[in-house]
Amino acid sequence: MRPILAFTLFGAAIPALAQAQAPDAARAPVQALSDGLIGIMQGGQKMGFAGRSAAIAPIIDRSFDLAMMTRVAVGPAWTGLSAADQAALVAAFRKMTIAEYAGNFDSFGGQKFTIDPNVEVRGADRLVRTSLVQPGEAPVAIAYRLRSGANGWRIVDVFYRNAISQLATRRADFSRVMANGGARALIGHLNDLAAKAAA
Amino acid sequence: MSLLPALLLAAQAVPELPPAVPAPTVAGHRERTRGDPLEGFNRDMFSVHQAVDKAVLRPAAMGYRTVVPKPVRAGLRHFFSNLGEPIVFLNDLLQLRPGRALRTFGRFTINSTLGVGGLIDVAKGEGLPHRANGFGGTFAYYGVKPGPYIFVPLIGPTTLRDLIGGQGDNALLPVAVGTPFDTWQYQVTQGVTVGLDTRAEVDAELRALFQGAVDPYATLRSVYLQNRASEIATLKARGRGIAAPDDIQLDELDDPGAQPAAPEPEKKP
Repeated sequence: MRPILAFTLFGAAIPALAQAQAPDAARAPVQALSDGLIGIMQGGQKMGFAGRSAAIAPIIDRSFDLAMMTRVAVGPAWTGLSAADQAALVAAFRKMTIAEYAGNFDSFGGQKFTIDPNVEVRGADRLVRTSLVQPGEAPVAIAYRLRSGANGWRIVDVFYRNAISQLATRRADFSRVMANGGARALIGHLNDLAAKAAA
Repeated sequence: MSLLPALLLAAQAVPELPPAVPAPTVAGHRERTRGDPLEGFNRDMFSVHQAVDKAVLRPAAMGYRTVVPKPVRAGLRHFFSNLGEPIVFLNDLLQLRPGRALRTFGRFTINSTLGVGGLIDVAKGEGLPHRANGFGGTFAYYGVKPGPYIFVPLIGPTTLRDLIGGQGDNALLPVAVGTPFDTWQYQVTQGVTVGLDTRAEVDAELRALFQGAVDPYATLRSVYLQNRASEIATLKARGRGIAAPDDIQLDELDDPGAQPAAPEPEKKP
């Protein structure tokens, strides 16, 4: 038996493995986001904060599952909230996310993102590793966790330096305000953060 | 003490901090955060630290960065870091990693000689970068749990295990070598130099962390504990594979909206 045939038979016998060998779908949102960030960095001051926000917003909407991220960050209290508060929280979380990207990625100094072609499987989720390469500085590892839903693969968490989960951090960050002031207080804080990122 | 915790340790100063949020209560009872049973005390200590940082530590660190030329700051940083390599070496051995210990020994030897007493990090260019290790890591390696999270003013975020381990790291040279490491003059010089340098180096990162936070205390705690857990996992993996976002974090991704009872707010823009 030639190796190529053995490989084909083996692959056909294990559908899960075959599925894991088609990673492009989970990589696409990460690629889109990375390209978008380079784009607004290059736009820089000329684009202005408003211009960068407008450019990155549709990319964020297509790359992230912001509704799910909001639910996880808010935690178990989510199920007790009114539909209006839930919608307002998602909107505030979205606004903050866009403002932070537009605020932080505001100038270009030759940076690039390299995306690991190997997509890792994490239960039902996928992990895509990237590296922010900056001239004269050590590369920064940024990994994305993606989950498949009605709209295909979407980013649900971002890991900084392979160690720090953005969602776990947000959840810790939100918990006290949620417990004390509820959804309205948290919405107020998120809007403040968005305003601060714009400043 | 390893780098990022040390980074996060030394340094919190954000002028426009949101006002302190009162303790969370659920049905009149104070809700305890997992891993932080001393939260009330820790939050008070955090406030004390923030006040000291704003008034003294940060201005002094910024002054140090402005007045002392970059090569001098780097030289001093390397010098004190190099004096910590014997502690790294000992803990490499305690974790039964002779290969790693040998590399640490090689690094120390090269930098102490060719690197002019440690002022220049020659070994890094020779493929022997600094790899943090200490008694806190060794305790963890042998299964000691972190214990309660503790925030200590001027030291920063730590856990009971790592606080004790850090004291061991600090005591090693004074106890094993003695003079000059056991003199107060050395201790103060080392403490002030490393403290100011670390505070200055992490300023931008810390500012960004707090500016994106609703509750800076909780955000710093979360980031510190996640980072430390990742360092311990990397130690225990003994160099097998790259550090991976930990599977523990799978639990953090429990989606409350995924429960059938909850309405699915899937309104895509």
